[in-house]
Amino acid sequence: MQTRVVLAAVVILILAAAIPVVAHHAFASEFDGSKPVTLKGTVTKMEWINPHAWLHMEVKGPDGKAIQWMIEGGAPNALLRRGWNKNSIAPGTQITVQGFRAKDGSNRANGREATLANGQKLFLGSPGTGAPADGRDPSEKK
Amino acid sequence: MRIRGLLSLVIATIMISAYVLVVRQNQPTAASAAGRSADWAPSRTPDGQPDIQGIWTNYTNTPFEVFDEKDNPALYSGDPDGTGRGTGPGFLNDSLGRNLTKGRSLVVDPPSGRVPIMPWAEEKRNYRLAHIQDDWVNFTPWERCITRGVPGGIFPTGYGSGYQILQGPGYVAIVYEMIHEARIIPVDGRTHVGSGIRLWNGDSRGRWEGNTLVVDITNYNAKGNLATNAASQRVRSVPQSEDLHVVERFTRVDEHTINYDAVIEDPKVFTAPWKVAMNLNLEQEYKLFEYACHEGNHAVPNTLSAGRTKDRAAARAGSQ
Repeated sequence: MQTRVVLAAVVILILAAAIPVVAHHAFASEFDGSKPVTLKGTVTKMEWINPHAWLHMEVKGPDGKAIQWMIEGGAPNALLRRGWNKNSIAPGTQITVQGFRAKDGSNRANGREATLANGQKLFLGSPGTGAPADGRDPSEKK
Repeated sequence: MRIRGLLSLVIATIMISAYVLVVRQNQPTAASAAGRSADWAPSRTPDGQPDIQGIWTNYTNTPFEVFDEKDNPALYSGDPDGTGRGTGPGFLNDSLGRNLTKGRSLVVDPPSGRVPIMPWAEEKRNYRLAHIQDDWVNFTPWERCITRGVPGGIFPTGYGSGYQILQGPGYVAIVYEMIHEARIIPVDGRTHVGSGIRLWNGDSRGRWEGNTLVVDITNYNAKGNLATNAASQRVRSVPQSEDLHVVERFTRVDEHTINYDAVIEDPKVFTAPWKVAMNLNLEQEYKLFEYACHEGNHAVPNTLSAGRTKDRAAARAGSQ
């Protein structure tokens, strides 16, 4: 319960104080805006590294075999200002991530939004990178 | 249990909202400048320098240059495939929760608000930006986590636009939040290093002219870029030569404001000197977080890998 409350507080902080950020490299050089992907699985690791954080998750394929995916998030200092910290998503957390696939076809994606098992949503992308506007970025111009 | 959780959530919400309110109220506004007094003068450090110490930010809605319809914003912002999914012409800002102003352009001289870039330098920029997936040399030094340059490190971007200025006897130091750069400026009258020494960020030498810190920068190498971030628009990825010469001026005009400008001349890259100007706003409660940029820079290999995938697809299509 305590974890849920903390996560809920994190979401509220994001909504209340969301600060748009700009990644220092362009979305379009790495990721394909025409290839959205939704991944449902289990968090294995949150890499709190610069210039961009990476969320690692395990997704079960159609044959039941586990596939490892890497999801790019915003810069750690930007995520920190949004209320994230390295313990926000612990290994083992069930999560659904929506994002856009890497252009090289590898199991990497630029993350836009993460949804937890209880329905709470976390924005993990880097607005201003050129990722297609999809309404998930609180800084998107309407 | 559910009620306790809900109660905790409400308390957390109130605490966070109060925090946000306090932070927002402390944002610098134009009103702070209105209280400026003509006889205001900065206090002095123990060694007698005008005191410009503090944590400063320069988030703004003002575009770098005046926009021209011939500009290609998608290219400048790094959209090599021309899919229209670049960052667009809008200035990328940190506007939510901040009371930002929007002026005509940060470039104040020439009066057109346009940087006089030589055609060859524009071509080189265009090539680099369009071929970023081909070779690491086409990345800006920022994307490679080397530096945002001087004066480019102070050109505002959408996040990490915080600067801490510290002064000690004979020195002024600036810590840049974005990619965690530190710059040490001697103000003790020493001359520049010898011409054989060439540096990414040049060699800075400061002096005080009244209450203005004047910094003369020479001895650049020819590897850097004058500006690295997309918010710098057409100037992003423009090369610099060893002849680059920059003069920066920092003047604390009131408790909350430093007027900053830089005159940039590089006779091999620009047809005339030009000036960029902006305010640095005191924001002592702003936290500078470490940005250890190189520790996991997957962006460079991922971008190059995307380029190789595109090349293989083109080769397969060509052989069919």
